[in-house]
Amino acid sequence: MRQTDAALAVALETLRARGLALRRGSDPEPMPERARPSVPTGHAALDAALGTGGWPRGSLALLDAPRGSGGTSLALGTLAAAQAAGGLAAWLDLDGTLDASVAARLGVRLEWLLVARPHDPAEAIELAAWLARSALLDVIVLDFGERGMLERRALDRFGSLLARSGATATLVLAPSARPVVGAVAGVRVALHRSAWLAVGRDLVGQRVTATVERHRWAQPGSSAELDLWFAEGRRIDDVLAVAAQPRLELARPALQVVSA
Amino acid sequence: VTRLLALVWPGLREPDADARPFERMLDALDDLSPRVEAVDVGVALVDVTGLTALWGPERRVAARAVMLVRTVAPLAVRCGIGDDRWLATLAARLARFERQDAPAAFGVLERAELRDLPLTLLPADPATRQRFALFGLTTMGQLADLPRSSVGAQFGAIGERLQALARGDDRRPIEPRRRPERVESSETFEMPLEGVGAAALTLRRLAADLCDRLRERHLAPGRAVLELRLEDAPDLRVAQPFPQPALEPDWIARLLLSRLEALAVARFASAGDDAEASVEPRVASVHLAFDRLSDPSATQLPAFEVQAGRWEELRWSLERIRHRFGDGRLWQAGVERPTAALAEHRFRLMELDR
Repeated sequence: MRQTDAALAVALETLRARGLALRRGSDPEPMPERARPSVPTGHAALDAALGTGGWPRGSLALLDAPRGSGGTSLALGTLAAAQAAGGLAAWLDLDGTLDASVAARLGVRLEWLLVARPHDPAEAIELAAWLARSALLDVIVLDFGERGMLERRALDRFGSLLARSGATATLVLAPSARPVVGAVAGVRVALHRSAWLAVGRDLVGQRVTATVERHRWAQPGSSAELDLWFAEGRRIDDVLAVAAQPRLELARPALQVVSA
Repeated sequence: VTRLLALVWPGLREPDADARPFERMLDALDDLSPRVEAVDVGVALVDVTGLTALWGPERRVAARAVMLVRTVAPLAVRCGIGDDRWLATLAARLARFERQDAPAAFGVLERAELRDLPLTLLPADPATRQRFALFGLTTMGQLADLPRSSVGAQFGAIGERLQALARGDDRRPIEPRRRPERVESSETFEMPLEGVGAAALTLRRLAADLCDRLRERHLAPGRAVLELRLEDAPDLRVAQPFPQPALEPDWIARLLLSRLEALAVARFASAGDDAEASVEPRVASVHLAFDRLSDPSATQLPAFEVQAGRWEELRWSLERIRHRFGDGRLWQAGVERPTAALAEHRFRLMELDR
């Protein structure tokens, strides 16, 4: 019996070495996982849930987040993480709503951030394509705001250009154009607020559940719980960590998780 | 013995004058003498020592200089010749036009002639002038005759310098300008190319050729000047400064092509009434020149910044994007007043390279 097991193990190993996917009898067939270069999201839990270690490069990722549920904060966190790894980033700000001071407080280095202000959604996609073609940017965030009249063909062309270039991860914030972008995006992550984070009477952040609803290169369906701090909240986060040390003999700071 | 020719263009000295021809005038003077100094806008000094053996009397040397600069712009000019900078420029200042529409005025000033000239011609501040008057000094000869130590005691270092000028003693040497260098290359086509885009390969090859020539000399260009001779339309000419000096033919060719295409679209789209009928200009020849040459090793990227090199490369792409989309699209943000109540006061946006 032991000899049979050993022989089976050798045979399986040989098959694996040839790159064949193996599965046990009744296990569901896993999605083919290919090594996909990625850009970290800035949240280890979400990187793990995505299965590719972050936003896949050469693809569109839709952040399906209603207004106020952390889409912008998560995108800024991604920019900060990409820059910390030595990358460059661009933010295409269609509505002119990007607050650069908040971005800076969330760890984004403004000297390596390009802010583009296209005049309309079609120009935004064309401009993003020009930027992606340079293959010098690690992340591009396309924030369409409420101007979501997007042309499917233009998005398709942009998607195939991204795939050919393979260098840039593109996050799309488009609450009003979810169906169009969702159909083209390789990854779709939905954000839902599950709780507010408060210290005393001050709201300092929110806890959101990020669910990977679609993933072209990994198994979808995973979710992660993320604490997204507001710009001021991030500073409080550090204070909380230090003050929570028992040796300081302080009362535990009153971080409350308030049901949303 | 040094002989200097000073040229002063009153028309260029006016505050709102168009000073663009001045550089080309200096270039023209290079044909007369290798030592030409641009003292200020509208004032040039030319070392003409020994040129009388070649061109004849000094007045003819000055006439030749005037002839050279008038090929660039027909502006009236005062010419003065002297042994040093002070004498030459003063001679130009004192030169009188013989008639109102004369192209040039000419004067020569020797040291001995300074004695009778009024002290008001010296470049002195009003207070010093007033003190000269209090001492009863009215001519340069009177100041020149005083002992140097007495002048120093009464008027300080400024007084000593003015006395040296009054004696005709100006030891400041002429500082010849370096002629701006440029390298160029061109190609003429037997069969004209159809459209500006068809010149891309030629452009890349010319840029590579010029980059190779400069690489051997450890120089990099800061600007390209591209001229396209067209068969049935006026020539296209673009002068494109680079984001930084570089020896990258691909970057340079792509940048020039994007600029050229933007220019061609603007010109030929507006030329025809029918927007559908696109007019493709026929290119007969391409001429490419690089100038603003500098040592690229002098361009130091910030140390310990991983992004710096890629950002510099990105700026070339951004320049092309600007050609394609126009101004007002690409910005960089900087935090201004982080604690301000309104978001628009907390940061400011700066248009890239504006």
